[in-house]
Amino acid sequence: MPGVTIKGLTKRYGDLAALEGLDLRVEPGELVSLLGPSGCGKTTTLRLVAGFLRPEAGEIWVGDRCLSSPTSVVPPERRRMAMIFQSYALWPHMTVAQNVAYGLRLKPGVPKAAREARVKEMLKVVQLEGYESRYPGELSGGQAQRVAVARALVVEPEILLLDEPLSNLDANLREEMRFEIRRLHETFAITTLYVTHDQAEAMVISDRVAVLFRGRVVQVGTAEDLFQRPQTRFVAEFIGKTNLVDGIAEEPGVVTRGALRLRVALTGLKPGASVVLSIRPHEIGLVTRGQRASPEHNVLTGVVQRASYLGDAVDYQIRLSGSDVALRVTATPPARVRPGEAVTLAVAPEACVPLAEGGFS
Amino acid sequence: MAVWVLAALALVLLMALPLGWLGYMSVSSETGTTLSHYRAVFTDPHLQRALWNTVVLAFWVGLASLAIGAPIAWLTARTDLPGKRLIRGLILASFVTPPFLGAFAWVMLAGPNAGLLNKLYRAWTGAEDPLVNVFSMPGLIFVVSIYTFPYVFIMIANTLELIASDLEDAASILGASRVRVALTVTLPMVLPAILSGFILAVLQALALFGSPAILALPAGFHTITTQIWALFQYPPKVEMAAAFSVPLFLATALLLFIQKQLLGRRGYATIGGKGGARRRIPLGPWRLPALAGCLGVMACSIFLPYGILAKAAVARAWAQPLTAENLTLANFALTFGHGATRSAIVNTLELGIMTACVGAGLAALLAYVVNRKLIPGHQLLAFLALAPVVIPGVVLAVALFVAYTRPPLVLYGSLWILFVAYLTKEMPVGYSQSDATFKGVHPELEEAGRILGAGRLRVLGEITAPLARSGIIATWCFVFIGVIRELSASIILFTPNTKVISVVIFDLKEEGQFGAIAVLGLFMLGMTFAAVVVMQTLLGRDVIGAKD
Repeated sequence: MPGVTIKGLTKRYGDLAALEGLDLRVEPGELVSLLGPSGCGKTTTLRLVAGFLRPEAGEIWVGDRCLSSPTSVVPPERRRMAMIFQSYALWPHMTVAQNVAYGLRLKPGVPKAAREARVKEMLKVVQLEGYESRYPGELSGGQAQRVAVARALVVEPEILLLDEPLSNLDANLREEMRFEIRRLHETFAITTLYVTHDQAEAMVISDRVAVLFRGRVVQVGTAEDLFQRPQTRFVAEFIGKTNLVDGIAEEPGVVTRGALRLRVALTGLKPGASVVLSIRPHEIGLVTRGQRASPEHNVLTGVVQRASYLGDAVDYQIRLSGSDVALRVTATPPARVRPGEAVTLAVAPEACVPLAEGGFS
Repeated sequence: MAVWVLAALALVLLMALPLGWLGYMSVSSETGTTLSHYRAVFTDPHLQRALWNTVVLAFWVGLASLAIGAPIAWLTARTDLPGKRLIRGLILASFVTPPFLGAFAWVMLAGPNAGLLNKLYRAWTGAEDPLVNVFSMPGLIFVVSIYTFPYVFIMIANTLELIASDLEDAASILGASRVRVALTVTLPMVLPAILSGFILAVLQALALFGSPAILALPAGFHTITTQIWALFQYPPKVEMAAAFSVPLFLATALLLFIQKQLLGRRGYATIGGKGGARRRIPLGPWRLPALAGCLGVMACSIFLPYGILAKAAVARAWAQPLTAENLTLANFALTFGHGATRSAIVNTLELGIMTACVGAGLAALLAYVVNRKLIPGHQLLAFLALAPVVIPGVVLAVALFVAYTRPPLVLYGSLWILFVAYLTKEMPVGYSQSDATFKGVHPELEEAGRILGAGRLRVLGEITAPLARSGIIATWCFVFIGVIRELSASIILFTPNTKVISVVIFDLKEEGQFGAIAVLGLFMLGMTFAAVVVMQTLLGRDVIGAKD
């Protein structure tokens, strides 16, 4: 089973650059999500990999085959890939069975009997037995989705491409299908590229997530990597909620902003350099009266500006004393302080993550 | 690739060559270039008169179409008017009725002497003078308007259908009265449609040849189109006709440009598809009067004309009561037995089928290329395919006459010149229809086939073609209907061996053969409605776009 290697991929629409030198490697059998806001180039990347578009620069390799380069593009039908589309793209004039069998009919050396058996088997896998003779117009959204999955998987593709396949489903079904897609991936282990703008979906489904912004991959890693160690302002803000604090490195392990002084997760900072810190709201502790903050923690004081009860959490906004910084803090209920009250906060240095310099804003 | 390029070339040839010749002809003389033809056109009092008559006709037809079309559109789209389906069906019928047939029918209904309505009026009141005289400018305006108002209706009804009631509710909740809501919210949203419907109606009136020829000529006045036709009568003054065609062409282009600008800004009226609940306004005691009003209009454009045509078809003397001795099938025998008529029917069917096949094929090819962006410059193809819409039939005919009566391509005298004229004239309609068809076939449906291993041609055959099939057949029907009713270009391009039904009907008028006219007219209507039924079935919706 081959992997996919994308090198320096560039695609322009007129003067508008959709991709600017995108690099990405997908290991054999791995599921990688392309995650980003709309217009970041993720769908363009997928369509380039599928061979629907020709790149202006860069190459796409599958195993030892170069499939796309500015001079030659192997057409989609000879790429041994399968794709699941946002619209599902089920052919309305064919039954479920005909839709699923389509790719098999095009494969040489699959006799009719074997074809029918495999279609039947695949429909069983996606829990659609007995739907063979229905037309797509007679299916619910979730069922149509499953047919699209079956049609793509039945041909045993080398590479599977998914373009926001869950975005047309309602919230409950969407959550269920995330696990379903993950389960199918673990069953078939096909090298997969998965496009989504939903960070939770990407985190549930993927082995690794590639965050795209303005036509480039800004960070690739496991869900945990991205959340715990974001390298740029964009990733920190896009994956989960965070507080960003602009400051100056005073010592290799200390960042200051005015009177605010924080020991941070890294100790290799260059003194005098400007640094952006990401502090997750739930990593900040409220120190209640009578409690003592651990001496390793950064201890801060401030005044509560706003407290919002959210059921499973309380969301505070706290203005730090003697500073222009206001932090969002997520604490467990019940709400223990009210707006206007003074509080003490404790933040472990490991929770103050300096972002890479020159990060995107 | 070669196919696409050929299609593009064909388009350019269809459009550019005749128009180029038309422009050249209008400024050429034996001694070189000259503006004398234009000078003559604008100084000759006869021609000036014709220009003015056309302006009067077009303006009043625009207004009258608005006055008829707008209320009916509002009634069918936004109120609980009974019989909406029936009204829509009848409007569709008047939309596809060839206006010149309507004009003939109204000659029989409201001619000053033998006209049925005038006879009834005289019998009732004992008056000497006729009630109405259809051979007059008001008569002409009336007869043209009752077949032109569907353009206004379609524009306004489709826009009203798109305006969700909550846009109006938003104004009501802020304290606006019903009238205020109508004036400040609904009307501004419909205004572009109203104006553009008005312009479409004006354009129809400008380009029309049949009705003015039937009603204005006996009344002793000309419009631009009949004047151009007259300039072609012996001895032909082709240069003058060309010079006279250019202003008509430019006026049409200008009006269409304005209409596009109006519609281009219409976007806001189409927003709100999702919140789309549309309340029906109860008419209360006005339901029946409103229905009666609508049916009254339909009586003028459908019931009375069709009735008198049917009567004339089976009567020895159409003006006499339909008694047993007046009943006859002789008109049918005469019409279908007559050699010249038979050959005209054959010509019409041949041209209709050929143009529809080539037109639908070419339109489908172009729409596919444009929608899938297969070649650079595809927008230009779309523009070229839609461009003939600015050329009135008479102007097109003059241009084709000038272009194809000389080498390298002498088509005049054969059916080919009619074929080229019809193909050019129907291309915009065919293209729009095909474009809508391919817009309805999501590209991902094709891509899904490609990625599973099917090549471009295979996908075209197994996926695109089956999905686009009904749309393409509907296009075929659209073109076919347009061709079999065509008169304004045919009347200039026909030769004794290449007559078509519409031309024969026009000739029969000179001989006063109303029975034969009625038979041929009904035959033409029969073919038209057959095509409409096929289209309705295939498209699963009203051809004129109004939804239930």
